[in-house]
Amino acid sequence: MGIPVCPKSVDNKEEKMANVKTGITLFSLGTPFLKGELDLEGVIRTAADLGAEGYEIVAAQMIPSYPYVSDEFVSFIRECKEKYGIGPICYSANMDRGMLKDRDLTEDEMVARAVTDIVSANKLGCTVMREQYLLSPAGLARIAPFAEAYNVRVGIEIHNPDSPVTQPILDYLEVIEKTGSKYIGFVPDFGCFATKPNKPYWDRALAAGATLEQLEKCAKLRYEDVPMEEAMQIMGPELAKCPALGGTLNSMYGFVQFRKSCVKELEGLKKIMPYCFEMHGKCHYVDENLHEASIPYEEIIPVIAESEYDGYIVTEYEDEGGYGAVEQTTRHVAMVKKLLNQ
Amino acid sequence: MGFAMRMNFVDVVVSDSLKNYYVDGRKMGYQFQIRLSYYRGHFLSVIDEFGVKVDDFEVPADNIKFCINGKEFSPAEFDKCYTEFWQVTEPATIRVFYPGGLPEGEHKIDVTLFFRSPYMPIGPNHMYMPVDSCGTKCLAVTD
Repeated sequence: MGIPVCPKSVDNKEEKMANVKTGITLFSLGTPFLKGELDLEGVIRTAADLGAEGYEIVAAQMIPSYPYVSDEFVSFIRECKEKYGIGPICYSANMDRGMLKDRDLTEDEMVARAVTDIVSANKLGCTVMREQYLLSPAGLARIAPFAEAYNVRVGIEIHNPDSPVTQPILDYLEVIEKTGSKYIGFVPDFGCFATKPNKPYWDRALAAGATLEQLEKCAKLRYEDVPMEEAMQIMGPELAKCPALGGTLNSMYGFVQFRKSCVKELEGLKKIMPYCFEMHGKCHYVDENLHEASIPYEEIIPVIAESEYDGYIVTEYEDEGGYGAVEQTTRHVAMVKKLLNQ
Repeated sequence: MGFAMRMNFVDVVVSDSLKNYYVDGRKMGYQFQIRLSYYRGHFLSVIDEFGVKVDDFEVPADNIKFCINGKEFSPAEFDKCYTEFWQVTEPATIRVFYPGGLPEGEHKIDVTLFFRSPYMPIGPNHMYMPVDSCGTKCLAVTD
């Protein structure tokens, strides 16, 4: 189990310490799983080998009886825990609002789906569930009694381009505080603290013929918060020369945004820390010296270590191709443990 | 179909999966298998476009059955299949009614499959990220 991390100030003996454990989401090993190189047992064994103390499972990816959990699957997961020493700690749900052909799911229907997921999470032995933002703050409040009854703490994932200080997240915070429930909260994804361009996207653009100068120009526009349409216009002539650059610039304003500093966002994280049930340690590329190329873990981890956070940081390696999933996940877990002095 | 995201880990058309199928001892048609080109599974109701061409001839949708979970569905029924989950690692069997079956030898199989990623809205009014799960392969009849 995790080693408690001493907070900087130990003057107050009453002060609670962070208890941070490291795990992975099995999604990190999705590539070898989908290619058939590792079956689910192989994925769990690999997770244990690389130092995970527990794992998150993306239900729609790896649970054969999805959206339900069969008795057979529960037995299999228990056997794996006996063999490899680790079990599921978080059930990662999807909110498929657009699953019907001609209309979005209603809030009633989304609540119904989320309740099914809570039941499945409990059956699997998970006490945390990742939910997605398409479930509204009101919907989240509605599932609180189920979360409580089933002992599954449901956290809305805070994913780039949102962060702990953006309005949609503050809207959830308001509802969480109003209900007073300890069973609804957040799962922050560290991608929202990125301070540098995403390396795999950058490298892919280079491979597709973009020049370093063009890419640096794009990054500068993003750093200076030039609105996307304006940035597209400024880069217009360059985009005409290299169409691949358009996708890269687009991503800089999409799911892999970055800014000069994440100080404000980390202050926001401190405020919501009591409502955080799990953290997604996002990674796109960790080098051999255990440094993530775009996300400043050296700034993020101390904020968590110095808080009263009690839970997992699970590595979420987003495989964009080009690097080995097992190697990258291994490096990331090692990096988090190192920064936690574990 | 305009822009569509592609997330590919394995071939959509499964190798060595083409064979004729028999009813009452007679060849009633042929079948092959396909995989979903994505990182997670989906309910069949997310499929927006589905079609099969064999040796460059379009197969009428009426003649197609899409088989998963021990059940068979026609493309016209996909929108009602919002409880039928297609697992990402489980191939679906595509069964085509074609009395007499396919002649021996190689045949070109083209599958068109576009679906909505139902948790990735890209705009208002039920607009979701389109995903391309098309595939093509030449397969020899194995029976």
